Amino acid sequence: MTIRSSGSRRNFLKLAAGVTGASFGSAFFPGMVGTALASPTAPTNKALIAAAKAEGQLNVIALPPDWANYGKMIAEFSKLYGIKVNSASPDASSAQELQAVKSLKGQSRGPDVVDVGPAFALAGVQEGLFQPYKVATWASIPDNMKDASGLWWGDYFGVVSFGVNRNVVKNAPQTWADLLKPEYKGMVALNGSPLGAGAAFAGVFAASLGNGGSLDNMLPGVEFFAKLAKAGNFNPSDATSASLVSGQTPIVINWDYLNIAQAKKEASKVKIDTIIPAEAKPYGGYYCQAISKFAPNPNAAKLWEEFLMSDAGQLIYLEGFAHPARFNDMVARGVIPQSLMAELPPAAAYKEVVFADKAQTEKAQSVLKAEWAKMVKV
Amino acid sequence: MSRRRTSGTADAGRHIPWSGAVLLLVVGLYFALPLIATGVFSFWEGGTRYGPSAYISLVHQDALWESLWLSLRLALETIGLSLLVLVPAVFWMHLRVPRLKSLFDFISVLPFVVPPIVLVAGLTALFHGPDWFVGTPNYLVAPYVILALPYTYRALDVGMRALDLRTLTEASHSLGAGWGLFILRVLLPNLASALAGAALLTIAIVMGEFTFANVLLFNTFAVYINYIGQTSATEAAALTLLSFVITWLAMLGVLLSGRGKGQAQLGGAR
Amino acid sequence: MQQAASAGSGAVVPRQTVRQFVSLRRHWGTVLFIGPFLLYVLAFLLLPALRLLAQAIGDKHGLTLRYVAGLAQPQTVTAFSNSIMLSAVSAAVGLVLGGLVAYFMLRPGAPAGLRSLVTSFSAVAANFAGVPLAFAFIATLGSLGFITVWLKRIGVDLYGAGFSLYGMSGLTLVYAYFQIPLMIIVIIPAIEGLRREWREAAQSLGGGSWAYWRHVGLPILMPSLLSAYLLLFGNAFSAYATPYALTSGNIGLVPIEISNVLSGNVMLEPQVGAALALGMIGVMVLVMLLYVAAARRANRWSGR
Repeated sequence: MTIRSSGSRRNFLKLAAGVTGASFGSAFFPGMVGTALASPTAPTNKALIAAAKAEGQLNVIALPPDWANYGKMIAEFSKLYGIKVNSASPDASSAQELQAVKSLKGQSRGPDVVDVGPAFALAGVQEGLFQPYKVATWASIPDNMKDASGLWWGDYFGVVSFGVNRNVVKNAPQTWADLLKPEYKGMVALNGSPLGAGAAFAGVFAASLGNGGSLDNMLPGVEFFAKLAKAGNFNPSDATSASLVSGQTPIVINWDYLNIAQAKKEASKVKIDTIIPAEAKPYGGYYCQAISKFAPNPNAAKLWEEFLMSDAGQLIYLEGFAHPARFNDMVARGVIPQSLMAELPPAAAYKEVVFADKAQTEKAQSVLKAEWAKMVKV
Repeated sequence: MSRRRTSGTADAGRHIPWSGAVLLLVVGLYFALPLIATGVFSFWEGGTRYGPSAYISLVHQDALWESLWLSLRLALETIGLSLLVLVPAVFWMHLRVPRLKSLFDFISVLPFVVPPIVLVAGLTALFHGPDWFVGTPNYLVAPYVILALPYTYRALDVGMRALDLRTLTEASHSLGAGWGLFILRVLLPNLASALAGAALLTIAIVMGEFTFANVLLFNTFAVYINYIGQTSATEAAALTLLSFVITWLAMLGVLLSGRGKGQAQLGGAR
Repeated sequence: MQQAASAGSGAVVPRQTVRQFVSLRRHWGTVLFIGPFLLYVLAFLLLPALRLLAQAIGDKHGLTLRYVAGLAQPQTVTAFSNSIMLSAVSAAVGLVLGGLVAYFMLRPGAPAGLRSLVTSFSAVAANFAGVPLAFAFIATLGSLGFITVWLKRIGVDLYGAGFSLYGMSGLTLVYAYFQIPLMIIVIIPAIEGLRREWREAAQSLGGGSWAYWRHVGLPILMPSLLSAYLLLFGNAFSAYATPYALTSGNIGLVPIEISNVLSGNVMLEPQVGAALALGMIGVMVLVMLLYVAAARRANRWSGR
């Protein structure tokens, strides 16, 4: 059973798996040795797999195939365990995901698992929408990315980057200061409103870090965009794949994994570069997994989570250019193939990534609410 | 507006005056240009190559046709339910109880101000309903009738206002028709253009509705369009044009099928 | 208001009093015809909306007016005034242009098939909104749109001259794309209701076009025009996807504010959203009152 397609990677992994699998496997996965069903780094807990198979299906929501390689993740999971995955509403927002859990409580169509922003993970906890579960690899998930009682945990993260359409933009901007140059008039766009879209919010935060602000002070970010707007470089429209590829918004501030995935997808039409601005530590954002308290297929849900957080699943995220939550742990153990590392932006950047915690996020939100509309005038 | 007519004959309106033609042309251009821009982009394949690859890949996606069929079905059901509930109500209000007009007007604008996400939250909290209702896409018809309400009500309101309802009812009653026959054979045919308008608007609204279907996890056409829009550039443009053309054909279908009905008119308008 | 004696009841109908509404037998018609509609609206609109009210005036700590008071914040006030102005202006644009187009298209001298073409196109365009519409306009008139670029090539710098697709004027321009068709569809029955005999009568009395419109045509159309304006206003007022796609909420508008706190990816504040929605209801009630006052005057002409 192979998960990856490249032969050399398979050999490398077999070696790594042999070393790590033997040590971890015997501890966490009894009966793993000799199982022909799964690769050593994917979950092989027999009891759980049997229970999940008995349920036969899994309801997921808000997982676009091109987002962090969820398309492959779903396909692999289905193939490995023979469980049908019903993927609904790929474009739902985090708020809509929580609403779907509430609205479909008690129905067999209800979502089993959710993938939401941290603010919504906290809201879900408050509203009692999740059930606790700690995956086998719990210990190697960074502490600042999980809930102590197991109600939610981070699955992958990205950093703020510039996606640049090189057919339209002759000289790609490398830093925040570059964006202010007159040659980029009308070109720089965010992926929505900073008050409503996670990537846009992160974009302003990242701009703040790159202009003298800090995680406790987001105001320089708003001031930067005010300057950008005054210079006529800021394009307020909601950047989409179409607007980036067509060149209407040739510079898009968005998550790195989205920009890189776009570049790969449209490579036949247009050259898109993904650049992480150089001035400051990159600002990152992670998404959170949680199992619905009313999940119609709880065992399939738990197996899904085990899969996502296993080395196998985390590598699939990485293939989609989204850095898995356990990235540093996996790098330290050497389970990431060189060829994959080569396709990503330089790893040094990701070692330094910073995340805002709840208090810092809320403070930043109130600053945004008060100042954004006032200061940023196109 | 048009040239002063001094002749006493009913010459008004033999031709469209040049001012009208210019207006139609300018407005037509305004509507065509953005569509042309979208169309040009949908055929783009990179560099200076143009071709139908976006369309080809689109029509091969099953999800496109399934979601389209679902939306069309929902649209027809919504029209049926809307008219069933609204036509008698608006008719009776106009004929007998004009005092209720303010209430009707107020109700008809309420859907504008209740955010869809609030409505769906309220609906699902209230109705855990039988599973055959709540678990199938037909559940969407209930809120869709509400969403279409401002438009369908307004179309019927304007339509009924243009009729002399009192004379119509008295005439048909004096000829022995009961209410049922009256509605079927007299009222509806006279409301043809208003009904067509209401139906057209409802189809457009249902085809474009996103929030309800998204939260309730139904894969309607709008959900599908939204998903393509986020992920594929030229396919999104192709899908925009495709859905425009498909909906337009559906509209033409509704209009032309309504042509055949005879219209009883009191003092023809034409 | 007198009731015509219906064929079913032989008794003389006395002047209506409120008490009579309680008597079902006499008002079987109202109950039968209007009852289902009211029940439907109660079940599927009013009851769910009442939750809104409950959320706006209280949270888990009890009743509070803090969220409603929050409507007075400067950015919220700006959002409301932007929304109202945008809706009022785009509704006016739709009213005038849509009315004119509908009128010319319905004249007997119009080319055959024009009416079907325009009506069917209008039905589609009336709901062509959101991201596809925004993209279509950005590709046409955005800072790098093809018309903008073409104009620059012949020497006209749109954006340099101060035009911006992303400002209020740009939004109005884009809103017209669905306001005009909506107007066309809604006003057709009313224009059809203008009998030719009235025009001929006016002419035979020596009036020209302008006199006809001023004394006959417009007064008769006025109730329908007001009705249509109300619809256009509401349509624009509640529009969310289009302005969001065009401006990402840079121009504060109430539906976008609501969506950010109820349906977004950054924050979740149901009470704030509910208070904003209450504000929207308040605005629509005011507009409705203006409409009712105007309609009462206009209705004098049609004798209803």
